[in-house]
Amino acid sequence: MARLTAGIASSHIPALGVAIDLGKRGEPYWDAALKGYDWTRDWEAAARPDVVILVYNDHATAFDMKIIPTFAIGCGDRFAPADEGWGPRPVPVVEGHPGLAWHIAQCLILDEFDMTIINDMPVDHGLTVPLSLMFGQPVAWPCKVVPLAVNVVTYPPPTGNRCWLLGEAIARAVASFPDDLNVQIWGTGGMSHQLQGPRAGLINRAWDTRFLDDLTADPQRLRHIPHIEYLRETGSEGIEMVMWLIMRGALGAVRELHRHYHVPASNTAVGHIVLEVLP
Amino acid sequence: MSRDIHAWLAELEDIPGTRVFTAARARQGYHLNQFAMSLMTPENRMRWLADERGYLAEWQLTPDQADAVLARDYNRLLDLGGNIYFLAKIFSTDGLSFLQAVGSMSGMAPEDYQAMMIAGGRSPQGLRSRKAGT
Repeated sequence: MARLTAGIASSHIPALGVAIDLGKRGEPYWDAALKGYDWTRDWEAAARPDVVILVYNDHATAFDMKIIPTFAIGCGDRFAPADEGWGPRPVPVVEGHPGLAWHIAQCLILDEFDMTIINDMPVDHGLTVPLSLMFGQPVAWPCKVVPLAVNVVTYPPPTGNRCWLLGEAIARAVASFPDDLNVQIWGTGGMSHQLQGPRAGLINRAWDTRFLDDLTADPQRLRHIPHIEYLRETGSEGIEMVMWLIMRGALGAVRELHRHYHVPASNTAVGHIVLEVLP
Repeated sequence: MSRDIHAWLAELEDIPGTRVFTAARARQGYHLNQFAMSLMTPENRMRWLADERGYLAEWQLTPDQADAVLARDYNRLLDLGGNIYFLAKIFSTDGLSFLQAVGSMSGMAPEDYQAMMIAGGRSPQGLRSRKAGT
């Protein structure tokens, strides 16, 4: 049977992708933001997941204002890195796992999560930057990916509690998939950042740190944080952290293996944590 | 639903210096954001750069929205229903990074904004709520 073995959360800041693609690791500014991922790349090389369920948001790339799915799951064979306005990132095509993805889609809908099913879409930095952070620059990604896109752009995004419950339902779906697969789930986006208006540049290290702490210490608190608290405390784009709760809701009991927090990369607080599922 | 949608929406307007992308703004900015989205292809970017006014005439923007686009007045565009991830198509076409464009909305000089970020970013203190002043 398929089994969820670990969860990872990470920012998906586009500038980190650019820094990797252009080889800027030698610059102290980028080294400080990126070095916290070295541990994880080594760990992933040993963990060798077969599939990553990658929770992210599209940034006006595959979805414009015509169609705004709250939860969408990528069921296609492959997903091409998007041209976000300056040409596609020089990274491998993302291979999907249609068997697992369709299985999860069916289970979720029967479990009363009305998913949007996507067979063909480009994937933007929200999905490809975490792959680069966790796997470096291979010629092909070392695992299949099931993209799970969440609307966190047009209000209201799903509540944190709804995200948590979706994570629990994903865990049930994975556990009923007959193939022997080592599956990880990643929640991406955040941490505190505001990309608009006179309040741009807001960072809240204390709030972010407590959020990271409570992923293990008090996850039940996190699922009930209202939208307005993310907005007030972590900036208008900090709301992306509801996506971390899909990851956390899927995991059950965990222990923290690694974390990294750094301000800034571009406008954003870089946050990253690796959680191992306890048997 | 136990939640009062009107109270929920009112709270979103209580945050200083912030325009939450609500349904009302999504409606107001639909054509503006779709225009910006059209700049995702190289062909459209070339046509846009060659003749901005002519290109805008193909879209149903209000005169205020069109003026703000031509002036690259991003705070005004947020007020007129623009969303940052769509507006990013405009400033990316101009060759600006998120750091440069976002910093410009704060009203700070680029080097001052960058220095603030390196020093740990903008504190939320006093910027959480207009009403409460916290």
